[in-house]
Amino acid sequence: MSVKVKIPSLLRQFTNKQEVVEVTAYDALECLKNLTAQFPGLRRWLYDKQGELRPQVHIFINGERASASELLKDGDELLIMLAIAGG
Amino acid sequence: MLTESDLVRYGRQILYPSFGEEGQRKLKESHVVVAGLGGLGTVASVYLACAGIGHITIVDCDFVELSNLNRQILHWEQDIGEKKPLAAARKLTRLNPSIKVTPLFERITEDNVRDIIKGAHTVIDGTDNFETRFILNSACVGAGIPFIHAGIHGLLGEITTIIPGKTPCLACIFPQNPGESGSIPVFGVTPALVAILQVMEAIKLLAGFGDLLAGKMLYFDGETMEFTFVDLIKRPNCSVCGSDRL
Repeated sequence: MSVKVKIPSLLRQFTNKQEVVEVTAYDALECLKNLTAQFPGLRRWLYDKQGELRPQVHIFINGERASASELLKDGDELLIMLAIAGG
Repeated sequence: MLTESDLVRYGRQILYPSFGEEGQRKLKESHVVVAGLGGLGTVASVYLACAGIGHITIVDCDFVELSNLNRQILHWEQDIGEKKPLAAARKLTRLNPSIKVTPLFERITEDNVRDIIKGAHTVIDGTDNFETRFILNSACVGAGIPFIHAGIHGLLGEITTIIPGKTPCLACIFPQNPGESGSIPVFGVTPALVAILQVMEAIKLLAGFGDLLAGKMLYFDGETMEFTFVDLIKRPNCSVCGSDRL
C-alpha cells in the first residue's frame, strides 16, 4: 500500500527537508522500517539500541492514534509525533 | 461573592458573553495546583493569578538558577539561589493580592501527591519529566480531578486536557514512559505559548463554557507554525483508568 508519511519538523533534517514522504508498506511498523531504510538518519530517533520502536514515537493514521501493527490502506496518511517531556 | 474591586479588576473578561459575573465567581471559588515552576508553570501561574483563580498552589523542589531565566518569567536575577515556589509566590501575591497563593517546596512523589492535589479543581502540568507526570495522572484520575497535560521541546509543544472518567488518561496516551529528560533545547516563547493554552483550558473548564482539548492532543510546531490536532483513544486495559488498574 502506498501511504503518505508526514514528518515532524524536528526530523526533517534527516529527510532532505521533505515534509511528506511516500512509502509503500502493509502496516505501520513496516512503513517506519521502509522509511528508515530510505532515510537512515531517522533510525536513532525512532528506534532504541535493541532495534525496538521507542516509546516516545507516536503514530497516527488519518488523524487517529494507531498501533504499529495497524494495517494500511492506499492513500492513508501516517503522522509521526514524538512525545516531548520538557516543561 | 464578587467585590466592587473584582468587578473592576476582571471587568474586561466579565464582558465575555458566555462567562460573565457567574464565570468570575466560579474562578474565585476555584483551587488550581500548578505542578512545576519552570517555563510552563511560571507563565501559567501568572495568567491564573491575573484571571482571578481564588487559590493557586504552586509546587516545585528546585532553586532558581541563571539558566532558568530565558523562560521562567516569575524568576528574576535577584532570585538566583532562592526556592522557586517562594520567589514565585511573592510576585504572584503582589500581582494580585486578592487571591490566595500557597507555595510548596516539595518534590512530588507517590507519598505526597494526594495531599498536594487534595481539594483542587484542576491540576496544571508544569513538570519536566514523565515520571512525575505519571504520578500526577494516577492521583488525578483517582481523585477525579482534571489534569491539563503539556510538554515542550525547542519550538515544539503538546497539550491535552484529561478529564477522569471521560477522556483517555496520560497512561492511555503513553503506555510506557517515553523518557527524555535533562537539558533540552528550548526558547522561552514555546512554554509561554503552551502554558497560556493550558490556562485557557483551565478557565473554560472551571467556568463551564467552550470546547476543551478533551480526548485530543494539540501539537504545535513553532518552526513551521503548524498546529496539528489528533484524536486520542482510551485504552480499555489501561493500568490507571482501565481494566488493569490496581
